[in-house]
Amino acid sequence: MITNMIGVIIRKELRAALVSPKFVASFGVCALLMLLSTFVGIREFQASREQYEAAQRLNEQEMREQTAWGRLGTRVFRAPDPLQIFASGLQNDIGRWSSVDAFNPVKLKNSVYSDDPVFAVFRFIDLAFIVQIVLTLMALVYTYDAVNGERESGTLQLTFANPVPRHVYILGKAVGAWLALIVPLFVPLLMSLGLLSVFDILLSAEHWLRIAIMMGASLALVSVFIMSGVLVSALTSRSSVSFLVCLVGWVVTALLIPRAGMMTAGYLVAVPTAAETDSRLDGFSKERWNVHMKELGERWRARNEQLTGKTEEERRAEREAKEWDWMEEDDRSRKQVQRDIDEYATRLREDVRNRKLEQERLGFTLARFSPVAAFQLALMNLAGTDMGMKARFEDALTEYRKTFNTYRDAKVKESGTFGGIRISFDSQRGMKIEQGREETLDLAEMPRFSDPRVPLRDAFSAALVDIGLLVGAALLACAAAVAAFLRYDVR
Amino acid sequence: MNATQPAPMLEARGLVKRYEDGVLALDLVSFAVRAGEIYAMLGANGAGKTTTINIFLNFVEPTEGEALVDGIVTHKDPLAAKERLAYVSENVMLYPNFTAIQNLEFFARLAGKTEVTRDECRDVLRRVGLQDDAHAKRLKGFSKGMRQKCGIAIAILKDAPAILLDEPTSGLDPKAGFEFLNLLAILRSEGKAILMSTHDIFRAKEIADTVGIMSAGRLALQRPASELAGQDLEQLYLQHMAGHVERAA
Ligand SMILES: Nc1ncnc2c1ncn2[C@@H]1O[C@H](COP(=O)(O)OP(=O)(O)OP(=O)(O)O)[C@@H](O)[C@H]1O
Ligand SMILES: [Mg+2]
Repeated sequence: MITNMIGVIIRKELRAALVSPKFVASFGVCALLMLLSTFVGIREFQASREQYEAAQRLNEQEMREQTAWGRLGTRVFRAPDPLQIFASGLQNDIGRWSSVDAFNPVKLKNSVYSDDPVFAVFRFIDLAFIVQIVLTLMALVYTYDAVNGERESGTLQLTFANPVPRHVYILGKAVGAWLALIVPLFVPLLMSLGLLSVFDILLSAEHWLRIAIMMGASLALVSVFIMSGVLVSALTSRSSVSFLVCLVGWVVTALLIPRAGMMTAGYLVAVPTAAETDSRLDGFSKERWNVHMKELGERWRARNEQLTGKTEEERRAEREAKEWDWMEEDDRSRKQVQRDIDEYATRLREDVRNRKLEQERLGFTLARFSPVAAFQLALMNLAGTDMGMKARFEDALTEYRKTFNTYRDAKVKESGTFGGIRISFDSQRGMKIEQGREETLDLAEMPRFSDPRVPLRDAFSAALVDIGLLVGAALLACAAAVAAFLRYDVR
Repeated sequence: MNATQPAPMLEARGLVKRYEDGVLALDLVSFAVRAGEIYAMLGANGAGKTTTINIFLNFVEPTEGEALVDGIVTHKDPLAAKERLAYVSENVMLYPNFTAIQNLEFFARLAGKTEVTRDECRDVLRRVGLQDDAHAKRLKGFSKGMRQKCGIAIAILKDAPAILLDEPTSGLDPKAGFEFLNLLAILRSEGKAILMSTHDIFRAKEIADTVGIMSAGRLALQRPASELAGQDLEQLYLQHMAGHVERAA
């Protein structure tokens, strides 16, 4: 009887949605937007993949044409990932390549946004953005008058002239609104996935799994807003009021809280700026060198004192005998100073990194009060475009640099050409492979860089907290709507 | 209570309603409507007719007293009470994007009539005088009278033993109003207990078994219609209205 009644209400909601022009129009807009975004995302992905491949080819060719192992360096490029189509995250903010050689530390350079600032201004609208901004808004526009609209139109009275339990009604309403929105919103979403195969974007099983979880997260986020809309409509008697409440609530959750969270964290956890750390390091090393120079001076004075009262002959003899030891001693202490400074620099760097992490963690915790932020964090984790992306790449690059340098040093030894400077004939480069002294390097055994990927299990467990938050929030809003409606005046 | 008479289907026992803003809308109202009876509630605007009906529907809770449907206290077991109630409001509002038949189907299902057919809906709509070509039209374009007819159809379709009508004929044209009276007579003959609020003194006298005149929340006068036969109801009504105006002044 009761399930029957829920069914009746749900069916009515679905039918009402299908015949309402508001629904048809917004569905059309959503579908268009999603397909367009995916299309643009795919084209950008394809373009960056071509760019990546070309850059890699060029790099390999240049390396092959180098003639001396000793100065061999390479460039590593970040391979584009198809998941960036859906959740670009920091993808475009992080440099796309780094040189790897014996001399310079790795550093990611040339992000999309630094190369093409116009993209930074008109940021790429990915599906994650559409879900966060457009679909959440749509969900509210859809549900803000779910209950009070029926009161205003008078149908609520007639409904409750029948033996309809209130919780049944509101649950039917919520589920009906949910189905009426979710199905049409997810059809274009699935269609966008279909575009991937149209454009021959090959995805691994793991990619699909990640996408499926991303869809689940989107579902959860939209559910939060649907339920919140129903809740607000069950708390207010006039739809004009609930519309305003929903709009303000949306601005606060979608726009304000995420930023306010990060800003608050910025105030609470101070992270020294690069200039600050530089000057501290400077101060430390100056101080350290001063001490060193003073000690050096004193050491020499002491050494000279030992020699006082001796003849010129004796002095020269003793100096000659000890010179080497003294120099070694000085060298040791100089090296010690250098080590201290390096250590201090490392400590500073670590401190900055830790504080940054702490700030980030606090900021995220605060931002998570907004389901929209929780969703974004979940999606970036799943797509691998999260906050850790840069560090992950830099760590992997540093690691790779070690392997690469070891490989090169081994090759240098093998070929016995260390220090040998060969003259290469530029005019012949790239024309044909020359035998003999200008023989190109055989790079077959060169270690390759592989992109650091967070394993699915880790990415998922990182995202799980946020998805859990979303599901919890949706259920909570639904329960609150039921509770609110129990006391609702249906007249 | 007369032992030979059946228990009332609708009963108000000392209903008092004071709204949150302090307005005393009902002041000790008691009456009973038995199966096969029509009770007409007359009264000026604001006399408390709608409030009475709303208490039966549990839309508002009485401050004191209780309303019973088939012996069930409405604010204690509203669902059971509503199973036995059909209701037509003074301004029937339905889903504007649904057709008349779709609206009927939905409300019939809510009423528990899950296997109602389209043909049944059409039959009832014909009974209340809604022309055939309007059956499959959206409610959007309906006039107030047409909506009122749909509301009455919904009440008939529910087939409940008690019917609450809050100025059901408002907006009906004279022909439809006349037909509606016939319909009420038929429903009464089917054994329904009907409580109707109305401003139409003449029709009330014509159709009702009992007439109650409400004035400022009190049931100022309650007579079997047969006793009123020789009397001028309009005169009585105006008399009590005058009392109302005096009290209010
Ligand atoms: N929700 C409410 N809050 C406060 N006062 C109310 C409320 N509803 C009705 N009233 C007051 O209760 C009194 C009775 O109103 P009610 O609607 O029952 O009258 P009525 O007899 O149905 O009038 P009408 O013939 O105009 O329909 C009026 O004074 C009205 O102002
Ligand atoms: Mg009224």
